Amino acid sequence: MGEVIVITSGKGGVGKTTSTANIGTGLAMLGKKVALIDTDIGLRNLDVVMGLENRIVYNLVDVVENNCRIKQALIKDKRYPNLYLLPSAQTKDKSAVTPEQMKKLTSELRNEFDYILLDCPAGIEQGFKNAIAGADRALVVTTPEVSAVRDADRIIGLLESNEIRRTHLIVNRLRADMVKEGNMMSSDDVVEILAIDLIGIVPDDEHIVISTNNGEPLTGSDCQAGQAYMNICKRVLGEEVPYIDLEVTKTFFQKFASIFKNKH
Amino acid sequence: MDGTVVIKGFKAGIILVLNPDASYETLKKDIADKFKASAAFFGEAAKAVSFKGRDLTDEQKMEIVDIIQANCSLSILCIMEDDPETEAAFQKTIERKIMEQDYSNTGQFYKGNLRSGQVLDVETSIIIIGDIKPGAKVISKGNVIILGSLKGNVYAGASGNTNAFVVALDMHPVQIRIADTIARAPDNPEKALGNQTKIAFLDNGNIYIEPLDKDVMSDIRL
Repeated sequence: MGEVIVITSGKGGVGKTTSTANIGTGLAMLGKKVALIDTDIGLRNLDVVMGLENRIVYNLVDVVENNCRIKQALIKDKRYPNLYLLPSAQTKDKSAVTPEQMKKLTSELRNEFDYILLDCPAGIEQGFKNAIAGADRALVVTTPEVSAVRDADRIIGLLESNEIRRTHLIVNRLRADMVKEGNMMSSDDVVEILAIDLIGIVPDDEHIVISTNNGEPLTGSDCQAGQAYMNICKRVLGEEVPYIDLEVTKTFFQKFASIFKNKH
Repeated sequence: MDGTVVIKGFKAGIILVLNPDASYETLKKDIADKFKASAAFFGEAAKAVSFKGRDLTDEQKMEIVDIIQANCSLSILCIMEDDPETEAAFQKTIERKIMEQDYSNTGQFYKGNLRSGQVLDVETSIIIIGDIKPGAKVISKGNVIILGSLKGNVYAGASGNTNAFVVALDMHPVQIRIADTIARAPDNPEKALGNQTKIAFLDNGNIYIEPLDKDVMSDIRL
């Protein structure tokens, strides 16, 4: 029986889609059979971040409307044969799918896959309700900003009232240097406000921008964000993984940068 | 010519009422004569044909169809059975077929850019004055000509016309579909692809994209 995980945040632009792509890829790298579902109908992005846009023939709405079979709509990833994507429709809106239909869909996919990750749209309306309908657990993504944390708090409340008790927190786009100077909330501050367990800290890393633009998730690569996502995947599987010290690597980078500067 | 064959017309085609007593050879000769005489009346049309009054084998039916087509300019699309249900089904097919033929040779214009999430679905061929952006889609039963850049999806020959083609001034599609064949963009696009006018067409089950030159243009079939 597979596990259905919804990745949500409330606020837009904090990294739900990027996290879904990278965690999905990471779980596939660790040998799990994974399906990613983009539930952001009308504003689909996950296919672009995964670099699979050119393979879309059928989508989520076609599946729930029985225009095609699930197998026909699932796109096999170009890097990992045990990773699949069910893209969202671009020409419809959120009301094209109901929570009941999503429940049915995820329960069918459970038999096939070890993990089903749902990329949730921003907001708390129909799209959010669809995404959480079939979920067993949730990963709440937030950035260390007051507005994002406030929205995450609201989302955690809504998840609880919808009987989703297993919620974990991902603090995204953390800048260790700013935290040190006292200009940014630390991950501890965020955890204290939201009062749920932390599952990962992802540093602000320009490699993420490059990877999303190229449509190639970076989980497991040498950069900090790649390591951070790999650690999240291991923690999702239940492993105890120590948190990487963003501080140390930062000074290393500074050293490296200063050497680079002297040369020019 | 003593009434061994009577030709009747109905909406989608013609009915041949055949005399059950006449010999098959006489019938064939009479059918040939009748259609030759009426060739001008029928003109160039696509029709279905149905037989009444006499049981014929499949070979005989085919033979008669050949005789009809040899003696006048009618093209016989199908043979209808004397059964209302199949008749209705056949009639639909014929109507669709006829409509398609008309549509692929007529067209319309659309001015404006198609942005992500927008779909332009037309029955005829279409000429678009503007760009097709990623996430947008054009569906046409005929051909698609884009006087702008193509960066989204195009589906030409949507009802199965394998002769349909797509032309764009700047050809960088995510996906092109012609009839039942789908081609997708390469995963590692070469950066240096110039924006040259190109045509996408279907040949032997493969979609080809080539610069629009004289040779390619002479191969276009409408």
